[in-house]
Amino acid sequence: MIDLKRISKWVNVGGKPNFILKDINLNIKEGEFVSIMGPSGSGKSSLLNIIGMLDDSSEGEYFFLEQAVHSLKEKQRSQLYKQYIGFVFQAYHLIDELTVYENIETPLIYQNIKSSERQAMVADILDRFQIVGKKDLFPTQLSGGQQQLVGIARALIGKPKLLLADEPTGNLNSRQGEEIMELFKQLNNEGVTIIQVTHSEKNAAYGSRIINLLDGRVDLS
Amino acid sequence: MLKNYLKIAFRNLAKHKFISFINIFGLTVGLTCCLLILTYILHETSYDRYHKQADNIWRVTRSWNNKEGIVSLHLGAVAPPFGPLLQNDFPDIQKMTRVLLTGTQPMRYEDKVFNEKDVYFADNNLFSVFDVPLLQGDRRNALTDPFCVVLTPAVAHKYFGNADPINKVIRLNNQYNFKVTGIFEPLPGNSHFHPEIMLSFNTLKDSTIYGEKNLASNFGNNAFFTYLVLPKNYPVKNMEAQFPAFIDRHMPANKKDPAAKPSQYTRLYLQPLTDIHLRSHLDEELEENGDIKRVYIFGAIALFILLIACINYMNLSTARSTLRAKEIGIRKVAGAHRQEIIFQFLSESVLVSFLALILAAALCWLTLPSINTVTGLQLSIQSLIQPAVLIPILLTPVLVGLLSGVYPALFMSSFQPSKVLKGLFKAGNGTVSFRKVLVVTQFAVSIVLLISTAIVFQQLHYMQSTSLGFSKEHVLVMDYNVGLNNTYESFRTRLLQDSRVLQLSRSSRVPSGRLLDQSGASTESGDSLRPVSADIKFLAVDHDFINTYKIPIVAGRDFSRNYTTDSTNYVLNVAATKALGIKTPEDLVGHSFAYGGAKGRVIGIMGDFNFESMHQQIVPLILTMPTAKQAYNFNNISIKVAGNDVTGALANIEKVWKTYLPEIPFQYTFLDEKFDQLYKSEQKQGSLFTCFAGIAIFIACLGLLGLSAFSISQRIKEIGVRKVLGASTGSIVGLLSRDFLKLVAIAALIAFPIAWYTMHSWLRDFAYRISIEWWVFLIAGIVAASVALITISFQAIRAALANPVKSLRSE
Repeated sequence: MIDLKRISKWVNVGGKPNFILKDINLNIKEGEFVSIMGPSGSGKSSLLNIIGMLDDSSEGEYFFLEQAVHSLKEKQRSQLYKQYIGFVFQAYHLIDELTVYENIETPLIYQNIKSSERQAMVADILDRFQIVGKKDLFPTQLSGGQQQLVGIARALIGKPKLLLADEPTGNLNSRQGEEIMELFKQLNNEGVTIIQVTHSEKNAAYGSRIINLLDGRVDLS
Repeated sequence: MLKNYLKIAFRNLAKHKFISFINIFGLTVGLTCCLLILTYILHETSYDRYHKQADNIWRVTRSWNNKEGIVSLHLGAVAPPFGPLLQNDFPDIQKMTRVLLTGTQPMRYEDKVFNEKDVYFADNNLFSVFDVPLLQGDRRNALTDPFCVVLTPAVAHKYFGNADPINKVIRLNNQYNFKVTGIFEPLPGNSHFHPEIMLSFNTLKDSTIYGEKNLASNFGNNAFFTYLVLPKNYPVKNMEAQFPAFIDRHMPANKKDPAAKPSQYTRLYLQPLTDIHLRSHLDEELEENGDIKRVYIFGAIALFILLIACINYMNLSTARSTLRAKEIGIRKVAGAHRQEIIFQFLSESVLVSFLALILAAALCWLTLPSINTVTGLQLSIQSLIQPAVLIPILLTPVLVGLLSGVYPALFMSSFQPSKVLKGLFKAGNGTVSFRKVLVVTQFAVSIVLLISTAIVFQQLHYMQSTSLGFSKEHVLVMDYNVGLNNTYESFRTRLLQDSRVLQLSRSSRVPSGRLLDQSGASTESGDSLRPVSADIKFLAVDHDFINTYKIPIVAGRDFSRNYTTDSTNYVLNVAATKALGIKTPEDLVGHSFAYGGAKGRVIGIMGDFNFESMHQQIVPLILTMPTAKQAYNFNNISIKVAGNDVTGALANIEKVWKTYLPEIPFQYTFLDEKFDQLYKSEQKQGSLFTCFAGIAIFIACLGLLGLSAFSISQRIKEIGVRKVLGASTGSIVGLLSRDFLKLVAIAALIAFPIAWYTMHSWLRDFAYRISIEWWVFLIAGIVAASVALITISFQAIRAALANPVKSLRSE
């Protein structure tokens, strides 16, 4: 599903390239649950952003479902992204001015799905996550765990094949964290490919494979 | 999708109430000003256009010039023979109609006596030239017979109550009876003249009133406003080109220069009816006109204020949009295209500016009645409801919305979501410098307005407080009545018995009016008299004029009852001696002098005084004294009373007046009020400028508030670090304020030359004017800077007092 070949990312600091990622080769198959681990600044989030097409690599090739992402036009890439990828953040990143319902609905709006269909889809997922009663509340009225639940619901509403999570439990207490990881496990069993960035060994253990990053390189030791 | 956008737009407005409020409010105030000024401009430019034939009606005007062609006088009215002669000589003229404004006339019906101001003689075809609906009577011949009168319903009601006015007889000036033959609808506010009473023109043929001979041959009495109807798109220039030959055919030779053709000294012109209100500033007009310059000034102010308001709106929108960086990042992650983000922001800002327009329209509608009361104008919001005006108005918010939305939209939509969401977002230097330019523009405009306001008021103060060269305090001015011709001396004696009445005098005109009457003058040259080329205006006065007005005598003496020959003697002002080329005024005293063909002697020279308004130079002036038989020269009585008991003096004057003139209503004005009236338009301009300058500064400050809030939020970390390192609150406020004060300083530097230039040209309209002082600029700059400083301090102090732990924790 995902094939990274010699991916590098750098920023120029004072005229010299400062590598964030260097020579990453990575292959992830459909249905995997991958955990990316590594110390702060090792390039975990950058790698996730490149996989999630939120950021470009400076060099290298990226194939997503056999398509060469590195050479796609912005529009096609966005099409691909909209269709197959969902994102979950550490800080949830819900729009404060929208209700739970509207937050979840937002991706569908950008996929030009009709209003009646949207209603059905949002109702479904609210039901599944058991947050129907919260649908008219605003994010600030929810606990952290509930907000992250909404964040995941939003990521899943477009039925993506790939779920990317950047430290999804980082802002949660351990009980809430466990609930989220259980949910991930369950989603993975349903066939969703998941890549998560995490600091916690315990969370990483939920996955089927662990990739360790160190100073922008895959640490094979 | 749009629904989602609107929803979030409204929730965002509601969430940031303060910023939203100043954003919308600023634009609303700006738009309200614009709409109000627009109604004013529409009103001013609509004058006389409601006549069906408006574009084909032309007014005949006449100018006087010396041989070199320099025009000394240009009147909107001409002598009575011109109208019929023009019609006779130019067959292209379809219609010709004349009106003559009479002075105030007392009118009586049974026991009701009133002084009527707007009394006109009007040709019987007036109704076929101008669109004046006749409510009662026959359009074709209501004004045909002599001694007929048509009235407005208000006047009719005043005299006749609810009775049918037709065929009632009304008495004019206790001399003539007029039969009411019609009732006409009053002319609308946007007409250049407003008759209340129209007397049939044929009445003038009566020899006791004016006489047919005078009508046919008096080229000196240029008081008849003459209008021609020409064919559509007529080449008017061709007709004007034939006027010199026309003048030479009909007019007698100039007395000063009998050999020359009359057309070398006078000219006729045609002026479009629709130009009269705004573009005609002739020395004689039916009513005080508007001024196209004023329309331009207000138009410019409207645009400036709109500009400031839009800039402000853009500025605040940009500031506000950075608060939405996260939302944009999330939307992008959720799959939004750049175009969709742009569309969202644009639709939001267009929506908000429409909201402002609706509020502005409502405000405009609410304030217009009180503005009409204050300014005495008849502005109507209905004038805005016409496609040519309404469409641009409706497009304005779209434009403003797009302009103010496009920058944030383009800028925000380009964010890298991964960066925004990580909290790395920082507005680039580009935004700040762009918005600095906006703030500089706003303050430059505000400072220009501030300086203008100050200078308008300085000039106004100067005009009202400068010594005029005579005493205008406690002088009553009344219309002279011919009923006093034979009894004036005893009337005067009776009044002077009251010690509160200090002096009184009759004259052809009174100060605050214009000096337009002129005849030829001749000075002594050896044994004979030689005509002079200098223009000297004359004022017919009696013995006591100089004394009543306390005009200083520079050389010789005042008129005196002790010298019976004084009615053929003259007093000139210093300006006249200069115009005659005489260095020391004494040199002229005692010499022979002829004026208007009457030979006499110069007995005195009086000091120069500002008879006319400060707009006019002091002109060479001669005082002549008509004999008792020539008392028809007098139009006014001036009475100087003691300042300690004006009310008592007035009561006594009225009592005496009633004994001598029982038929004539007692009516007076104070001379200083008449002078204040002269500067009414400057007064109005001054207060409007104050108002606009205030609004401009206010809106600019809103913008500054937005910008400072934004820029401080961008520097919150820097402030935190500085505080941790030991910076005091004061030093931080100083640090934050300095940048903005720099902007105000730049704005001032831009504003100063602009303000100097505009006010310099404004002041050129005044013959007597202040010089522009540097400290006015300094004060305006200081005012702007202090207001700006206060505005910034709100934010700066709060930021400086904030706990640094909080601002640093966010990293």
